[in-house]
Amino acid sequence: MTTAPLLSVTDLTVTYAPPRRSGSLGTGAALAHVDLDVLPGEILGVVGETGSGKTTLARATVGLVRPAGGRIDFEGADLGALKGRELRTFLRSGQVQLAFQDPLRALDPDLTVGELVGEPLAVAGVPRAERNQRVSESLGLVGLDADSFRDRYPRQLSGGQRQRVSLARAIVTRPRLLFCDEPVSALDVSNRNLVLRLLDRLRHDLGLAVVIIAHDLSSLAGVADRVAVFYRGRLVEQGPIGEVLQKPSHPYTALLTASAPSVQQENRLRPDQVRTPQADASWDATACVFASLCRFAHEACTQQPALRPVPDQPYRTAACHVADEWRRDLNPTHQKGTR
Amino acid sequence: MSTLRRIWTVPSARISIIILLGVAVLVVAGSALAPHDPLEQDPTRMLQGPGSAHWLGTDYLGRDVLSRLMAGTRVSVAGALEAVVVAAALGILPGLASAWSGRTFEWASLRVTDTLMVLPFTVFAIAVVGTLGNGLHQSMVAVGILMSPLFFRVTRAVTLGLRQTQYVEAAELMGASQWWVLRKHIWAKVLPTIAVTTAQAIGSALLLMASLTFLGLGVTPPAPTWGGMLASDLGYLTQQPWAPLFPGLLIMLTVGSLNLIADAIRDQTPDGVRRGWLGRQGTLAVAASSGLTGGGAALAAAPAPQDDVEPELSEEEDARVPAA
Amino acid sequence: MSPQPEQTLWVERLDVTVGAHRRAAVRDVSFTVGRGEAVGLVGESGSGKTLTCRSVLGLLPPGVEIAGGRVRLGSGADEVDLTTARRRTWDKVRGVRLGAVFQDPASYLNPSLTVGHQLAEVLRTQRGLARGPAHARSVELFTEVGLRDPDRVFHQYPHELSGGMLQRVLIALAVSLEPELLIADEATTALDVVVQAEILQLLSRLRRTHDLSLLLVTHDLAVVADTCDRVLVMYGGEIVESGPTEQVLRDPRHPYTRALLAVASIGDWSRRTLEVIPGSPPEAGEELPGCRFAPRCRDAVADCTAEPVWLTTWPDENRSARCLRAEDLESVGGPS
Repeated sequence: MTTAPLLSVTDLTVTYAPPRRSGSLGTGAALAHVDLDVLPGEILGVVGETGSGKTTLARATVGLVRPAGGRIDFEGADLGALKGRELRTFLRSGQVQLAFQDPLRALDPDLTVGELVGEPLAVAGVPRAERNQRVSESLGLVGLDADSFRDRYPRQLSGGQRQRVSLARAIVTRPRLLFCDEPVSALDVSNRNLVLRLLDRLRHDLGLAVVIIAHDLSSLAGVADRVAVFYRGRLVEQGPIGEVLQKPSHPYTALLTASAPSVQQENRLRPDQVRTPQADASWDATACVFASLCRFAHEACTQQPALRPVPDQPYRTAACHVADEWRRDLNPTHQKGTR
Repeated sequence: MSTLRRIWTVPSARISIIILLGVAVLVVAGSALAPHDPLEQDPTRMLQGPGSAHWLGTDYLGRDVLSRLMAGTRVSVAGALEAVVVAAALGILPGLASAWSGRTFEWASLRVTDTLMVLPFTVFAIAVVGTLGNGLHQSMVAVGILMSPLFFRVTRAVTLGLRQTQYVEAAELMGASQWWVLRKHIWAKVLPTIAVTTAQAIGSALLLMASLTFLGLGVTPPAPTWGGMLASDLGYLTQQPWAPLFPGLLIMLTVGSLNLIADAIRDQTPDGVRRGWLGRQGTLAVAASSGLTGGGAALAAAPAPQDDVEPELSEEEDARVPAA
Repeated sequence: MSPQPEQTLWVERLDVTVGAHRRAAVRDVSFTVGRGEAVGLVGESGSGKTLTCRSVLGLLPPGVEIAGGRVRLGSGADEVDLTTARRRTWDKVRGVRLGAVFQDPASYLNPSLTVGHQLAEVLRTQRGLARGPAHARSVELFTEVGLRDPDRVFHQYPHELSGGMLQRVLIALAVSLEPELLIADEATTALDVVVQAEILQLLSRLRRTHDLSLLLVTHDLAVVADTCDRVLVMYGGEIVESGPTEQVLRDPRHPYTRALLAVASIGDWSRRTLEVIPGSPPEAGEELPGCRFAPRCRDAVADCTAEPVWLTTWPDENRSARCLRAEDLESVGGPS
């Protein structure tokens, strides 16, 4: 039943400044000792706040940032170790793609849609005729009529259309793995689902795995199979999305679900049942990343917990010394909303 | 170029272009069109005011002022152009390279530029002339060298900004070479800025050239130049107080037109257009302001042109800062 | 809706037009915000919610103007008509009786002054406080909005603070002069979800402690669900539904509200359907016969586009809906 993962990240560490001592993450959002797999054809949601390192993971995988440690295995090669010509060959093959967060900034405003979507192919040396045909195909796959959109400029498109063009550019190279950085954050509610549906359809039609990077859970509900939760550079929990979000194992995931505004009012955790009102600065850098905010932090938490399978649920892992057990210590104050 | 077509619609730019076309005609055919020989002296008719024979009067040697102005256009303008060509050649490519190549080149080119900017202009010009002889080309090259930091810094600034854009990053993600990025994404965006700088530079060079010839450097009399005429006119102000007006006006019109065209080009560049169209956010003091910031799509749609856009979150350009 | 005593804001039949052709972008919008009440104004872009909000604040861009209706702030002797207010009146109202926070906090602060200086400046110019007391009061306000280490924050520049902290600073600025009404226009849209929850909680707390009325403008129905007593749903420049939040969300009476509920984040994490509303909203000011949602409504009938639809009201429930079929359509209930 286990299929070989498409992407296998092992002990990945990325720093943005030279580490001064081991364990220090340096400055900027970085990653520390991340283990994560992406299975072929699945949609994986990567969730975290600003500075959690969720975008760094994508950037490291596509080669925009060099890891300081660990491996990124994709089809037998360690992507983290590629450089120079090898890296360029890999990039031109377009097997792993990243669709940037803001299409307004990621699309050159002086190029037409046709030129934009065809650029990865042009860089790879694909001849014009084939290029045009694949561009039309790509545009069609994202729901844009090639003939009417090919000669338009980004400023003549709406936000949703620009997002589709950005996606069309990402899939024109027929990738196996696609990272989408906050694909729907800037869109209205009804447009959001249109794009998410599109991603779902693309992975079925093209057999590709999609990693959706999001800061809020509503971007993922309904489309992701699994979710991986990041906090301050560490992976704190991952598993099938329904289970992880209905009954989080890690207190931070619980904080996320409790904080997400929801129309449903019953039986919800409140954020302050899981977090302390102020961050406790007495925890140092070797402790669990969430300890300073966690109500359930105790002595064992001075040591950053490893990512371990959650008891009784083999497909889920969490990095917490009291995964699931913290529920016993919940203060059962009333559950209703804050009104 | 489409930019020229667009500038034509701006009234001030249109007048400027017409004026400059006139100047260009004078550059090419000034001497031929002049009613009199600019060098011909007539001792019987010195320092005359404007009249039927001499439309703008005569100077202290009886030479026709109008003819001298027309004939002098070529030297003055050509000299300015020469200086600008030298400046551009010395400034643009190093500017591009400094934003692209390694730290050593960057550091070196910046220091050279700093040095050039620090040199006092007139002293440098005199030094060059003193060393290389008093000729038009020498002084223009000197002016060009001293103006090159302008092109260097402008090109460098624009290129640096462009290098950090997301679409350049996206291109790098495709495995594009530096050359590709430069060609496809950067070059066309640097050109408008260079065009603006060039227009302004020609204006400055003209003024510099006039200053140089005013001081007697660069071109030896009796060849007419605008600056030289200004200088000689000053000696006879009591007899001909209006005399400096003519070369002065000509200089002013030409330089002014160039600057107006530079403004018009700048306003037509994508940044200028985008800035006006989308009504980007500024700073709004909470207490009182009649302006509007962070305008929604509905608001931007009010004065903006074609907008058959799908509904979208109005503040998309204010989206959160992405995770590092 | 007749005016109640003790209401803070009364918007009556507001019409806002856009452009030289005077296209109506907001039509016949009426609502009130009672004292201490939190009202949510929900709609997508193009719904007119932003223009309504800006009309109340008197911050309409050139080319956009109020073509009809009235906006009144306060009640009884303190009442002031904002539609006809001139600069002098606005100076006494904006910031003093009416506070506002917007989406991108950084662009509302002067980057070259410390945040404390900017808050103290308001206190000194408007309340005449001396430097010392203004500093102390600023630190107090910073504490009240939940900024940790307020003494330190006082001396920090905007670029040194995170988005959530900046928004707290702006909230402090907005409530510093004890206004009657605070308008939050997409104030939490650009923030991370945990911070968003904190800010919403802060706004609720301020409401209680300062008896502050709150007008929350957002595109996210879920935000309103958590924070507001009453909700107004806008579509195509009109109010299509209004009422107490809980009831509207449990039993929506307008098809658009129902559609929004189906599409919005509902907290049910294991659902696998992604609902969409087919079609797209009308352009601002577009003239349509009858109901503006009819082209996208699966329950529309011929009558819906025959002539303009008025609001059906249920006064005893304090609800209204702009739908001809509100009563005969069976409610599909709230989120499953």
